[in-house]
Amino acid sequence: MMTLVLDIITTAAILFIVSAGLLIVFGVMKIINFAHASFITIGAYSALVASRLGLSPVLAPALAFLAGGLIGATAERVVVRRLYGRPLDAILATWGLSIVIGQLVTLAFGREVQFVPAPISGTLAIFGEDYSRYRLLMVAAAFVIAGLFTGLLNGTRLGLSTRAVIMNETLAQGLGIDSTRVRLITFGIGCGLAAVAGALITPLASVDPNMGLSWLIGAFMLVMVSGGSLLTLGLSCFVLGGLQVLASTFISPILGGLTIAVLAAVSLRLRPEGFARG
Amino acid sequence: MADFGSALRSTASLSSSDMSHLLVRVAIPSLFAAGLVIAGPWILDTYTLNILVRAFFVAIAALTVDVLWGFSGTLTFGQSAFFGMGAYALAIGFTQFGFGPWQALLALGAAVGLTAAVAGFVGWLSFYPGSTPLYASVVSLVLPIVLVQILYSGGTLTGSSSGLVGFESFDLSLESWFRLAGAAVIATLVVARIALSSDAGRVLGAMRDNDERCTYLGIDTARVRIGLMVVAGVVAALAGFGYVGFSGVAAPENAGFVFGTQLVVMVALGGRGSLVGAVVGALVIEVASAYLSSSLPFVWELIVGVAFVVVIVVLPGGLFGSLRGAGIAIHRRFGRVPVRTSSAVTLATLERAAVAPDRNDVVVEVDGVSRRFGSLSVLSGVSFTVRQGELVSIVGPNGAGKTTLIRCLADGRERSEGTVRIAGHAIHRLAPDRIVGLGLGRKFQTASVFETLNVADCLRIARVRSERPSLIGVSPVLALPAAARAVVESSGLAERLGEEARFLSHGLKQALELAMVLALEPQVLLLDEPTAGLTRAERQGFAAILTGLVARERLCVLIIEHDLDFVRQISSRIILLHQGRVALDGPVAAVADAPLIREIYTGNTRPTEAR
Repeated sequence: MMTLVLDIITTAAILFIVSAGLLIVFGVMKIINFAHASFITIGAYSALVASRLGLSPVLAPALAFLAGGLIGATAERVVVRRLYGRPLDAILATWGLSIVIGQLVTLAFGREVQFVPAPISGTLAIFGEDYSRYRLLMVAAAFVIAGLFTGLLNGTRLGLSTRAVIMNETLAQGLGIDSTRVRLITFGIGCGLAAVAGALITPLASVDPNMGLSWLIGAFMLVMVSGGSLLTLGLSCFVLGGLQVLASTFISPILGGLTIAVLAAVSLRLRPEGFARG
Repeated sequence: MADFGSALRSTASLSSSDMSHLLVRVAIPSLFAAGLVIAGPWILDTYTLNILVRAFFVAIAALTVDVLWGFSGTLTFGQSAFFGMGAYALAIGFTQFGFGPWQALLALGAAVGLTAAVAGFVGWLSFYPGSTPLYASVVSLVLPIVLVQILYSGGTLTGSSSGLVGFESFDLSLESWFRLAGAAVIATLVVARIALSSDAGRVLGAMRDNDERCTYLGIDTARVRIGLMVVAGVVAALAGFGYVGFSGVAAPENAGFVFGTQLVVMVALGGRGSLVGAVVGALVIEVASAYLSSSLPFVWELIVGVAFVVVIVVLPGGLFGSLRGAGIAIHRRFGRVPVRTSSAVTLATLERAAVAPDRNDVVVEVDGVSRRFGSLSVLSGVSFTVRQGELVSIVGPNGAGKTTLIRCLADGRERSEGTVRIAGHAIHRLAPDRIVGLGLGRKFQTASVFETLNVADCLRIARVRSERPSLIGVSPVLALPAAARAVVESSGLAERLGEEARFLSHGLKQALELAMVLALEPQVLLLDEPTAGLTRAERQGFAAILTGLVARERLCVLIIEHDLDFVRQISSRIILLHQGRVALDGPVAAVADAPLIREIYTGNTRPTEAR
């Protein structure tokens, strides 16, 4: 029973970590970054490189953020910037981008499955149950990401500009906010966060060039349902992730794999604007 | 009446110029392609033929993506699921029951029936009043994922992750398969081409440009889109059926999300909305992948990815879109193609089927209508009635709830409480297209037309509700009700019927939208600040048209207007809306000179109310 509760909490945390980057890009730029999956892959390979170089595992997420952020910012500059007026085309172009990144990763690292050792292993006795330490660490990581992001948005000048762009971009531009710069930084941070997510989940999963794809649809659905706020994203992750765990445990893992996609589609039919407002 | 009769007769047949146009654009290329398909097996080697047969079936699936995305504006990743359903219907049928004529028919029936049902359900889920294109894309993403999971968990029935193989299938030679598949592609292409350039096909373009305007012209766009989804789904399923019938292997990849995106890539590279581009894109990518994926496995996919990004960013029209653009530019250079402002369409006047009853019937009844957004009350307890032949102006300061009131009349789901009757019928919670059927026409505040359609087609879309458009032909005659024709003639639109609406001036767009709404032959006309941004001359022309409509056609007109002089000139009655309530309702002289109006508009007599 306790294991089930912990499964739900840690699954929600992992889903939150994986979707946060996508949410930030969607919230500010109103476009969906279908290359999100390949930035998760980039992060995973950054962790692989870090462990091969013998760097401390703590540095892996930082390296991933750097790699994802830089590549993401470059992609924004070259491709995404031209598609702000065409949201459906932006989905396609970022999907194309993910094909390109996926093939480049394959050319560089090969297509075989590789593994990254977990920085902390073993279990922790919690409420009388032994539970994976690394999965518990993910809950802390989710809170750190949420905290950092809220702090950035509410405590800095960049955050103020970003909130202005979210609310009314034309007005923000009129007030002298460089919305192009805000978008560039946002996209970079979003991609960097995706890469951090990739680095964090690698010890739980294997690394291969298409590993991000399995996360994309779930993350995309959660972001659509949440409607663009960090709080509702956390809530959606908890509710839908929890139902996923329950469905996998009590009915079948295959049905569990469909839970998020199907329930998200149905709830969007009933409430098209997501759950951010009211 | 004579006019009407001749209009009917000429819609039934195509004019000779259209026939020759069709011959040049459709018949000659398809005969050429048919020649290639017949000659193919004599020229090409077995390996290439093999690849091409598969590519032909994929091309048919790509065509359905092009119709959905390029023509009706729904970006779909889910056509692979329908392709997969057709594929698995054959594979499961032949594996379970063996091969034979009745088994083949059963499998075919299952493929069509199952796909139609699923496509109908997906369409119902994706398209509803107020749905967004993004939501339809979301649903199209979920469909293949769900299907693949079902296939994985199907055990021996679906062959799980390895798929189904080793069943006996149609015993045809490779040459026959090639010619059959090639003929299927050409047939699909020709049918799609004719249907999409017909009068009915224009409706798709209109929905893509402006779904809301279509709804307010009485077209149930959700139903049209669901119907299109079913047709596209069934065609894709037939393609999958043929694909597996030929290859003898049904795999989950045939139904998956990645294949769905590949179809979109093919259409994007070839050129969305061009049909031929989708086929060329599919054939080139399929054949090139087959040859290059062994020699340059990852580099080839990298090239496709880069090309895809470049095309989406730089050439949204794809290969064919840019070729067409270049072709037009070259022709222009040598002055061969005249700029098409006039068109082959001739105008005709449609007599009113039923003569308007010359009574003073109440046609708009508003009783206790309120509209709240959360705790904010925009309208509260608004009641009034309007009769035929009245021109009522609704005035009031910004935020008084004027546009909200119009919305509550035109869309049954808008108001929070109260009843509205149009021409005696309560509107309940009806969608806008159904209320149009009761006899209401709404013109929006900013001109809302179909940007990429020409003027004649915009007007034709407005007639779709009352005259079922032809699925195969283009009518050379545009029959409009007298009132709509009068607006077209007097505004100068009559000389520009062949021009795309996006090139019109602001004033002409407003006139076009008014003509479109009048083409509905409404009993009640709702106008939201129709003269905003018009020149003085245009405004006077507008006033003449409106008063004429009310006097001659006994139309009931409700108009939102700020300019009190204009209101005085045209109205038979004025309703003053203030803070969501009817403050005054009476004849022009009584309301326009009332002290309350001056108070509200200038706000200087009661400083306590000023903010």
